[in-house]
Amino acid sequence: METKKLATGAAPRKLGEYLSRTREKTRMHAVHGAGGAQSVREDSYRGHAIEIITTYNILVDGKKIRAPLGVDASGQVHCHSLPNYQTASAVDMVRALVDGFPEEFEQKPARAKSRPPASRKSRPVPARKSRPAAKKGSKHEH
Amino acid sequence: MSAVRRNILKNIDVRDQYIKGVKLLKKEASGRTTDEFGIPGAARSVSTYDLFVIWHVTAMMVETPPGNPAQRNSAHRGPVFAPWHRVMLMLFEQNLQRVLEDANFGLPYWDWADDGDLPAQQQSAAAIWRADCMGGEGNPVSTGPFAFHASDPSGFRVRISTNISGELRSVNRGLRRAFGVSTDALPRTAHVAKALALPAYDAPDWDAGTNCFRNCVEGWMNDEGVSETWLHNRVHVWIGGEMLLASSPNDPIFFLNHCNIDRLWESWLGQNGRAYVPDMTAGAALKGHRIDDPISSPLGRSATPRETLDVSGIYEYDALA
Repeated sequence: METKKLATGAAPRKLGEYLSRTREKTRMHAVHGAGGAQSVREDSYRGHAIEIITTYNILVDGKKIRAPLGVDASGQVHCHSLPNYQTASAVDMVRALVDGFPEEFEQKPARAKSRPPASRKSRPVPARKSRPAAKKGSKHEH
Repeated sequence: MSAVRRNILKNIDVRDQYIKGVKLLKKEASGRTTDEFGIPGAARSVSTYDLFVIWHVTAMMVETPPGNPAQRNSAHRGPVFAPWHRVMLMLFEQNLQRVLEDANFGLPYWDWADDGDLPAQQQSAAAIWRADCMGGEGNPVSTGPFAFHASDPSGFRVRISTNISGELRSVNRGLRRAFGVSTDALPRTAHVAKALALPAYDAPDWDAGTNCFRNCVEGWMNDEGVSETWLHNRVHVWIGGEMLLASSPNDPIFFLNHCNIDRLWESWLGQNGRAYVPDMTAGAALKGHRIDDPISSPLGRSATPRETLDVSGIYEYDALA
């Protein structure tokens, strides 16, 4: 690699121009990934063409999240928003997203109620979680 | 004369110059504003340092080719991982040399495996995190040269980050780190040695599931070919905070980690005849990763993986792994 070309390309003006030009590709990808990322896995087996199309629709606290999750041929889940993770399940990836983007999952403070709270007996039963939260140091299939 | 890249923990002058250079690049206006990169909100000046944040995010979002099932992008999850980051580091080093007015300044590296050999509970207190080096953890980081001071708007702040969709956004906050939350220890020297012993740089199917040096060093699988967060990825995940996101160059430790990754690649190249795969006989599905494909960079066609295999005229390391 020529040192002169390297110095020219490193100039902030040149890098800025390049990034501005590349923006359109990025925008197109973001649209692709907005809440409905689709993974297509293809294989052939005993003369049969296999095509598996996976789309994730993810709700957290009842709200749809716009994370571009994908799954590769080995079934590992990946998300461009957390580029250094690869998880064995989409649930683990969503947990990592909650940790990585805390602002996007902040609970709004509950409104003050005009009536007295319901008695313990009449409160709804909390939804049962599918499994306990991962512990620190657990195997990191990220 | 080529620059010499040194261990940041063994060279106080280099350490201090690196910190100074980062701060200068962070303060230097690039001449661009946030709206030119599609960042919503009021247009704000973008620093030269933050151009590198935008570049990393942009590279991450360009799939090569679009929709490929391996989720390769123009800088990660495929063979071009090492060459792309080598080009990024060289351009960053050029800018450090410019603002420091030292044409021989070499980007330092952090040999994290030395810290990985410490007991896990001691790794957060290693020398790299002292106040005279990179500072410690926190939300925001409150010690060291990149600490957040609410009363000082001209201090080190994160100004561009990404949201959950991976899109760029403007922010104004301190640096974040949370050591050992998602993985409890850094990689060890033995892990590095085993990675360097892997004979293949990459191999079909050119995805995150192939047992090869690139996957081991990038960190999709361990040296036994089992899917696990490994070397480069493990360092990102162990540091946490900013380093978890596509905008991870926001943390100046990013460049020290990648300089060490580049040092490992240089070690591997020296032992393996400067080999790179795939060559140009590979199909279009690997476009952007083949040996003579242009690397996504402002250098255009003059930067290809082949062009990055011997950079001895530009820089060298004080010690290889």
